[in-house]
Amino acid sequence: MRPENYEAQRHPPSHEYELFIGPNHPGIEGNYAFKLRLHGDRVIEGKADAGYLHRGFEKLMEGRLWIQNLAITPRICVPDPVPMEVSYVLAVEDLCGLEVPLRAQWLRVMQLELSRIAAHLFTFGGHAATTGMYSTMYWGVADRDLVLDLFEELCGGRVYHIYNIPGGVRRDMPPGFTERVANTLDYLESRLPDYDNLLFTNQVFVQRARGIGPISRQQALEWGVTGPNLRATGLKFDVRRDDPYLVYDQIDFEIPTEEAGDALARALVRRSELKESIKIVRQVLERLPSIPGPIRCPIPNPLAWNVPAGSTYTRVESSKGELSWYVVSNGKERPYRTHVRGPSQMHAVQVLERLSVGCRIEDVAQIMFSLDACPPEVDR
Amino acid sequence: MSKELSTWLDKLLQELEGIEFRRKSARRLRVDVAPDALPALLELLRGRASYVHLSAISCVDWIEEGEFELVYHVWSYELQSLVSAHTRIPREPGRYISVYDIYPAAGFFERDIHEMFGVWFEGAPDMSKFILTEWDGPPPMRKEFDSEAWVNAHFDWQDYNPEWLQDLVAQGGGIAIPPDEQRFSRRNVDET
Repeated sequence: MRPENYEAQRHPPSHEYELFIGPNHPGIEGNYAFKLRLHGDRVIEGKADAGYLHRGFEKLMEGRLWIQNLAITPRICVPDPVPMEVSYVLAVEDLCGLEVPLRAQWLRVMQLELSRIAAHLFTFGGHAATTGMYSTMYWGVADRDLVLDLFEELCGGRVYHIYNIPGGVRRDMPPGFTERVANTLDYLESRLPDYDNLLFTNQVFVQRARGIGPISRQQALEWGVTGPNLRATGLKFDVRRDDPYLVYDQIDFEIPTEEAGDALARALVRRSELKESIKIVRQVLERLPSIPGPIRCPIPNPLAWNVPAGSTYTRVESSKGELSWYVVSNGKERPYRTHVRGPSQMHAVQVLERLSVGCRIEDVAQIMFSLDACPPEVDR
Repeated sequence: MSKELSTWLDKLLQELEGIEFRRKSARRLRVDVAPDALPALLELLRGRASYVHLSAISCVDWIEEGEFELVYHVWSYELQSLVSAHTRIPREPGRYISVYDIYPAAGFFERDIHEMFGVWFEGAPDMSKFILTEWDGPPPMRKEFDSEAWVNAHFDWQDYNPEWLQDLVAQGGGIAIPPDEQRFSRRNVDET
């Protein structure tokens, strides 16, 4: 709600009071508000309030050509935009029955995993900052920048890449790119012990994050929790392995899990995932030279492209959880309906509202960041 | 998913009447079901076939047929398969039953569909506005809602031509970065 439309209400005398966190607040992610009712330091009720970043993407996409929508999809979630464009492109390919060349699929995996690394580094920083440890935030953002440099070199865009098109990817790697990716990966891996010292084994953080916002496995399944937050409750599920897309079934990687389900467990799962992602990108770099071939298959004139009628539901594993598109075509040159299901639609609303009840006021921000909620996904 | 389990599931679905199903791939099953049978189907899928994860509820406005299509995507962690249950309800009055008691995750999606399409879900815990808090127009995701016409009717256009832009246009427009300063010009990349 806009401040000018807020009407103060006269309440009967009470020990309870209201506190708005956001939409502009360092303890909130993005343009989002979380309204608390408090008794002393304890939260009695939390209400999520979205809509500050609503751009109406689903409606916009109905009015644009299939190919024009590629410019919209990555903008749905800023820190981790790649899964958005890949899953939309997978949906269009599924509707058209396009066979994507193998090389393009491996390049997509590389792009997805680099994006996961960048997003996790960003989240470490955000999570640490909510406990007052700003060094990790500076480090995380600085190291993420090295991955963004790679993206800039690969496709010209640092944050929004629009690298994928239906049928493949826009361009191949520039010369010498594999070495530079390998160097960056080596550097990031060498940084992990530093991150451990600063954050993951640092008692200041461990004591602060242990037991905060715990989710049991039963609750996680009921509330629709996915991704690292689900794996932090001990369930070994990953869309990449259990509902494979692209060439993930040919890649060797572990699915890290933790048992506790609290903020610390969620942070540790992300830390282990970062390591796995580095492993995956290394495998891609090893395989890519031996995979020749085109990077995209021929597609019809994209400006007059009637995608066959039908509907499809494609899922990918983003850094925050399960991300899916439901795309409906009625055989015209524009989508009839697109619906995006972002993991944060669960994490930032129902899960956050339930976890905040009974916690202390200073833990609210940490719970939100440990869930890795991305409000733009809720708003769309 | 093993073949045994899939035939077991197919048999289970045959127990229900008025239901059509089509296997799209090994992990994707499409089910078309009448609106009054859908809650029973979801109950069955969740209770007896381990489809515990509601991935999403999608709504499609088929304005020419005068219907809303609701699609419930449910996933089984054990069978590793996704069932998309399609059902169609009349556009008017656009009322349906909430499945919140079967899948608590449905709360968000039902609230969102109510806000964007105007479908009322009976028994949903919260149907209040969420994203469009200060919106009092028609539900915007309905097909008859034309964003551009609405903008033209409610806002004025204005010419935006500040001095700095005029200067830029007078100079020929655009920003040119000399090749030496471009970070990833072909020449700089080849040297490293």
